[in-house]
Amino acid sequence: KERTPLLWVFVQAAVVVAWCFTDIETGPGAGVTLSYQPNGDRFKIEGRAIVPGVKTQDWVSTARILVESEEYVGFVRTDGSFAVNDVPSGSYVVEVVTPNYRFEPVRVDITSKGKMRARLVNYIKTSEVIRQPYPLQIRANGPHTYFMKRETWGWTDFLMNPMVMMMVLPLLIIVLLPKVVNTNDPEMRKEMEQSMNMLNPNPELPDVSELMTKLFSGSKGSSKAGSSSKGTRPAVKRR
Amino acid sequence: AMAKLLLLCLKFIVLCSTVESVFEDQVGKFDWRQQYVGKVRFAHFDTHVQSSKKVLLATEKNVFASLNTRTGELFWRHVDMTGPEGNIDALLLHGQDAVVVVGNGRQLRSWDINVGGLNWEMVLDSGSFQASCLVGQQDVVKHVAVLKKTALSLHYLSNGHQKWIENLPESEAVDYQAVYSGGNGEVYALGVVPHSHIAIVAYSLEDGEIIKQVILIHSTPWLSDIQGSCAVIGRGMLTCVDSPAVSLYTLDLHGQSEMTQIPLQSLGLEVALGFQPVLVSTQPNPARPPLSEFFLQLGPEHHLLLQLNNDQIVTLRDFKPVRNCSTTSLSCKIFYILACSLNLFSAETGRRLLDTTLIFNMDPFGGKPETLYVQAFLKKDDSVGYRVMVQTEDHTLTFIQQPGRVMWTREEALSDVVTMEMVDLPLTGTQAELEGEFGKKADGLFSMLLKRLSSQLILLQAWIAHLWKMFYDARKPRSQVKNDVTIENLSRDEFNLQKMMVMVTASGKLFGIDSKTGSILWKHYLENIPSNAAFKLMVQRTTAHFPHPPQCTLLIKDKDTGLASLHVFNPIFGKKSHVNPPALPQPILQSLMLPVMDQDYAKVLLLVDDQYKVSAFPSTKNVLQQLQEIASSIFFYLVDSSQGRLSGYRLRTDLSTELIWEIVLPTEVQKILSVKGKRPNEHVHSQGRVMGDRSVLYKYLNPNLLAVVTESTDLHQERSFVGMLLIDGVTGRIIHEAVQRKTKGPVHVVHSENWVVYEYWSTKSRRNEFSVIELYEGMELYNSTVFSSLDRPHAPQVLQQSYIFPSSISTMEATLTEKGITSRHLLIGLPSGGILSLPKMFLDPRRPEIVSEQSREENLIPYAPELLIRTEWFINYNQTVSRVRGIHTAPSGLESTCLVVAYGLDIYQTRVYPSKQFDVLKDDYDYMLISSVLFALFFATMISKRLAEVKLLNRAWR
Repeated sequence: KERTPLLWVFVQAAVVVAWCFTDIETGPGAGVTLSYQPNGDRFKIEGRAIVPGVKTQDWVSTARILVESEEYVGFVRTDGSFAVNDVPSGSYVVEVVTPNYRFEPVRVDITSKGKMRARLVNYIKTSEVIRQPYPLQIRANGPHTYFMKRETWGWTDFLMNPMVMMMVLPLLIIVLLPKVVNTNDPEMRKEMEQSMNMLNPNPELPDVSELMTKLFSGSKGSSKAGSSSKGTRPAVKRR
Repeated sequence: AMAKLLLLCLKFIVLCSTVESVFEDQVGKFDWRQQYVGKVRFAHFDTHVQSSKKVLLATEKNVFASLNTRTGELFWRHVDMTGPEGNIDALLLHGQDAVVVVGNGRQLRSWDINVGGLNWEMVLDSGSFQASCLVGQQDVVKHVAVLKKTALSLHYLSNGHQKWIENLPESEAVDYQAVYSGGNGEVYALGVVPHSHIAIVAYSLEDGEIIKQVILIHSTPWLSDIQGSCAVIGRGMLTCVDSPAVSLYTLDLHGQSEMTQIPLQSLGLEVALGFQPVLVSTQPNPARPPLSEFFLQLGPEHHLLLQLNNDQIVTLRDFKPVRNCSTTSLSCKIFYILACSLNLFSAETGRRLLDTTLIFNMDPFGGKPETLYVQAFLKKDDSVGYRVMVQTEDHTLTFIQQPGRVMWTREEALSDVVTMEMVDLPLTGTQAELEGEFGKKADGLFSMLLKRLSSQLILLQAWIAHLWKMFYDARKPRSQVKNDVTIENLSRDEFNLQKMMVMVTASGKLFGIDSKTGSILWKHYLENIPSNAAFKLMVQRTTAHFPHPPQCTLLIKDKDTGLASLHVFNPIFGKKSHVNPPALPQPILQSLMLPVMDQDYAKVLLLVDDQYKVSAFPSTKNVLQQLQEIASSIFFYLVDSSQGRLSGYRLRTDLSTELIWEIVLPTEVQKILSVKGKRPNEHVHSQGRVMGDRSVLYKYLNPNLLAVVTESTDLHQERSFVGMLLIDGVTGRIIHEAVQRKTKGPVHVVHSENWVVYEYWSTKSRRNEFSVIELYEGMELYNSTVFSSLDRPHAPQVLQQSYIFPSSISTMEATLTEKGITSRHLLIGLPSGGILSLPKMFLDPRRPEIVSEQSREENLIPYAPELLIRTEWFINYNQTVSRVRGIHTAPSGLESTCLVVAYGLDIYQTRVYPSKQFDVLKDDYDYMLISSVLFALFFATMISKRLAEVKLLNRAWR
């Protein structure tokens, strides 16, 4: 019966931007670019975004550069290049975000002296370094795939369905076998009977084919309909 | 082993593919998006091309956008950082370039307004921004000047490079507030030493050399602020207004070093007491001096049009009572006036132009007009025409064309939705009639029969009318068929998929929006809402209690004082209810809705004030009596995050309270970030989970469980942590405690059923992580009939697992369905604007690391450290929602379907089917195929029957 009601809480999560920067291992002999800004310890992340085969003016107005998810935001110039200003030293994931094209994110490390380095983002092995060019060159790898394909219905899909195959093949055998083998020949009949008995050594057990025949003729509405077409009725004969 | 892995992969793929996503042909079928920009701070019409359709807006939400003036739709929009870093300080328009100063003068950007791309971007020196202006010479504008606290800099418009930067003399004493250029090769910085004197520095445009410096000692002891009090008029005449002395002062920037006093009495004017007069001048072309005509506002509704003529000031026109004046420029100079009707006046003469009156009807539930933005143009017959964009106090933008036709309206208040509810639509008259039949007292068999027959007749009539309408509409072309939704024809659909979205915005404007089409059905502006108000919206009575109208109550609370007020309204029509809410003289600490109803089916709202006294609304005798009976079973809790205290209370029969438990989290160590209970309208269908060995693991379904999220006060990377406390809200018992070390907030939490999912930032690995806690009773249930917090001796089993998430998140919510049978998904709002629908089964602490036969039987996905973001799971495909701050989920009448509204800068509404549409035919259901197969089978049977008969007959003859 007790019910704890909803609460009226005002907790203001004060987002303290405390950038604790640990010294990032700089690869030996790396091509390091320095980029100083007028304001001492703030740096600039630069690069270029490319969508192959699409004019820049068709996509730049919807593009944004997100550094560590909206912590810092940059915009794309009309030529596709971009710069995110006023970024303190640290390690950041830089992403080009557009609603229509997919770009891979890049991790950019900035030392306290302003040395920049770009590498692949790896969230599992966070210290792994696979270098990327800096200034960044981010190429779109195609449009976003937002939609699932509808299951379209085609004749081939229907025919290649295993269930349909299982149904069609026996049907073919039933129809074609009597045409190929002359069932009215008494020798042939005897031979078939023998082979049937070989297959079914225990006559007490219910026969599958018999069951099927019953079922089949029953569903057809006329019990004798199938008999003549098949010609031989081994199950009935055995009884 | 390889085969096993392969199998695992296969399984994973199969599971992934079962997840519902959007099909391309469903675009816009049951979803819609509305994009907003926020309250306009600066607006400029694009004038450099004749017949341009653009208006550029810079808003208080740090958005810079271009609107189509014909339709009000966005051409493009750029959303900057929130907070002061993205704040737009100034917007200057020149040709097809828009120059924007951002972040208190930190960045200077130039945008190409046609493409919506950035031309260039410059980082400026630090120093707080004061003013900026375009600088021209000989009718060519090539530079932009930026005035900061200590320096004046000049930049090229073409590439943003700095031409020169000069320090301002005596900048520690003088407060430089304005920059002016009249197109003669000089740039003036105007400063003031408050209550002492004015300082004017003239710089050469070419090299930044100081040409002249004027300091008028003790000239203006009355002046503290240049903005508003002073303006440059005509050929460089600085004019200031002094309200105590009731005079204007003029100073020629080019020559004089003395200020000339012109008493307003000499112009025959009087100043309203207590009103600071405002001077407004206009400079249509930055390469030319400003107009010699200017406005002087003497009272809230008193404006004057003055003219400077050979050092003489003349009154051209006295506008009274007029609320707003605005100016725009064309070949001739024009001023505009507004007092619910707009008129166009010539600035040169002060005469009203013929046929320029524009009357528009103000929304009675809206705000008063605040600012006018006027676009003037020459008509074909050389007369002046104009359009006007009006911004009202409730952040509405209305674009009006002569003679008063509203072209479009934008409700920019919706860019800041704070909270919302989805309310069922009422039944139609006929539906209500049918329902009413069952509710009424029986009065005889015969009359009942008659009533039954008549209602069936009504149904038949409605059905025929519907058929007729369908037939009629089918003949018309599709574009002409309009389904106009108005309040009058609103009614519940058969699956209750269409609802009324009641949205509360930070500005205090309430909206009722149809969830199917997104059209605004009602709006109501509440005046006098404190700027720091917190809102809580509650549905006291749903539409199920006809003839009682539905009732919503909005609690508005001032965050600083704690004082609150109630607004009671009808959520379908938006009208204020005639029920009078109680006055709340004391600060309110807590509010709670009880499941108890009064005789009119309104749920009881309890309000706890700072004296721990409880008041009820409605507080009828019936309610008080009910409360007395059940008081001993009403518990509530309070959170004081500043003290780190959680306390639980129980209600006494006299509506006072008693403290029963208290938990103090020392604020030196950690602070409370949020406290989350479960949603009261949530249903859990299955009590347990069937395991691989066919035994049942029972869920711990405590409705009183609270998830308390804490964060360490010490934010050092090595010592920071995020804590999760699970507390029973009735007894105060700590059920479980979990701590994630080397992590920090912000933390997003979803608490539902028997699980808590939360997301935090791992400072050690610099990534976002999800953690899930699930609680189980064990293999047997202690008391399966009813859950009581007071009688649960066994502590629940707790399972927890964590995952890496490759993006940060903005908000998170879980899907909600009618009966809780459908599997749950988490809806995650991402900073990129996507809304990810992540199946809860990926966040399952029972995901095994090693796959066994049993886990396979249970359909558990093998553990993988990283959760994937697949764009196929975005429920909003490319309809991104900027700055999503909340996701609201509501059940529909269909168990499979959950209604989702995501709000932030934009609003997006859609439906999701977490377990696919199992209870209704899919919209791609192939009727043609199924009917053709049926017909084919039918004919095949007929033919084969006929054939069989023929064959039988033949055999009989043999």
